[in-house]
Amino acid sequence: MTPRVVFKKASRWYGPVMALNDVSFELGPGVYGLLGPNGAGKSSLLKLACGQLRPSQGTVELLGRPAFGSPEVFHSVGLCSDTDALFEDFTGFQFVCALLSLNGFGSIQASRLATEVIETVDLKDAMHRKVGGYSKGMRQRIKLAQALAHKPEVLFLDEPLTGMDPQNRKRISDLMKRLGDEGRTVLVSTHILHELEQVTRRVLLIHNGRVLAEGDLGEIRDLLDRHPRSVRLRARDPRGLARELVLLPDLVSLTLEDASGHLLAEIRKPDAFFARVQELSVACGVEEMWVTDENLESVFSYLVSK
Amino acid sequence: MTSETLSLATRPLWPATKDVLLISIERMLPRPRSFWVFLLLSLPVAFGALLRIYPPPGLPLTGFELYGMVIALFFVRNLLPLVALLFGSALISDAVDSKTLTYFLTRPISRLSIFLGEFLAYLVTVLTLTVPCVVVTYLVLCAATPQGAGFGAPDLVQDLAACALTLFTYGAVFALLGVSLKRPLIPGLLFLFVWEGFVANFPGDAPNYTLTAYARSLIRHRPAEEGLAELFSKFFGVGESVLVLGFVGVVSLALAIWIFSRREYVISS
Repeated sequence: MTPRVVFKKASRWYGPVMALNDVSFELGPGVYGLLGPNGAGKSSLLKLACGQLRPSQGTVELLGRPAFGSPEVFHSVGLCSDTDALFEDFTGFQFVCALLSLNGFGSIQASRLATEVIETVDLKDAMHRKVGGYSKGMRQRIKLAQALAHKPEVLFLDEPLTGMDPQNRKRISDLMKRLGDEGRTVLVSTHILHELEQVTRRVLLIHNGRVLAEGDLGEIRDLLDRHPRSVRLRARDPRGLARELVLLPDLVSLTLEDASGHLLAEIRKPDAFFARVQELSVACGVEEMWVTDENLESVFSYLVSK
Repeated sequence: MTSETLSLATRPLWPATKDVLLISIERMLPRPRSFWVFLLLSLPVAFGALLRIYPPPGLPLTGFELYGMVIALFFVRNLLPLVALLFGSALISDAVDSKTLTYFLTRPISRLSIFLGEFLAYLVTVLTLTVPCVVVTYLVLCAATPQGAGFGAPDLVQDLAACALTLFTYGAVFALLGVSLKRPLIPGLLFLFVWEGFVANFPGDAPNYTLTAYARSLIRHRPAEEGLAELFSKFFGVGESVLVLGFVGVVSLALAIWIFSRREYVISS
């Protein structure tokens, strides 16, 4: 399938400040996480992706057309930006209908789509109230509603869960996952890593304007050979297990925690390590083993600390 | 999954412009700025009502002459250009400041539609505020003249057209200023009160380069100038004035659209 979002050696600078540097990637259907610390270039990347900025160098394509200066692609693209801006005097329903009218929907169709999407984001009870009186979480959800209302193929969501209560975070996370499963392309920028982890394992890690890593979270983690992975083991005979494991060439460190009786190993080549543990599992009575740092938070920390 | 889309083409100009216009009027008209401008525009009504209730003894001017003064000096010369500055320069910058421009820029409509929709919303808004004030001022000041209210009816229609053209031209000029500069208000005020305020009354050809000289020429029943003012004030024919104001308005609009269509708007949180 043709990728829907394509960055080819795209760079963007503001005067002497480099916001994005030689970025290349392609996005097809599915949910992708865009991760990076403040100032990493996430917002610039999203603005380039949805045609608000021109690349200073390289190209950015959206649905096969240059992202900047191709308004026609917005029939099939939705954006939920991170700015807390709405038409304050409009009701939630009017707000979504008004933006649907800009997409070319007639009033009856716009009303139907608006009602549908407002129900999806659980704002039906407040849809006829002015958005100026909405709580932070409600404002976030009505922003999301306007991005989803016309059922776009490509969605850019910038910090979509900000200000939401846990119940709605779960609801919107599930919605993002569902949209990805339906074949839409969803690029989610967030710093709430554990929530993103529940939605997708495909991530773009960005720092100092460069994409540090791209792909499946596990694959990215495997790229980080110089960063050892932490594995915790519980065994009937931890000392015997430790004696065997220290012989492995890719073991960085091994700690026996006296209090819990757990072994904490830092390893470089997890596959070889796991295979050896498997061999020793009966002899040493390995009861449990889990990787302690294979979540986005730790991958992200490793990468940006370099 | 298929997206519920109409087609993968930018929406036609006029339907898209109409949709932007409807949204923008709803956002522009009920604002505090409109309320305060309406109060300012209503001042002549209060002034006329006072004159009717407490007519000063020996007033040398008829109601119709007073109305002519109000139209020429208060509306066309001073207030309408100021109203145009307040609204016109804010056309796009308001949407940038409120961070809502993104909602328009991420829709399948051209920037030309966005700009035209906003500009038409400006015209509808300022005319909605201005026309009732001018008409009521006319009724209050002229209805009591010996000739009756009907005396100046053709002038009223011509005055309303002059007000509309003044608002169009100044609005377009200030819209151009608004898309070109980050802070257009101060340069706009300087333009109004320094350039337009003084140069229009210079001797020679200097008034040819001001808008106000053409705008005031549209008011045929303006009060007679006396002394130095009579010597220096230059007036043009109605046809010439309409042509110049229309030309400046259209060229300013075209330039503003050209700049808006090419410019990047970085809306940050």
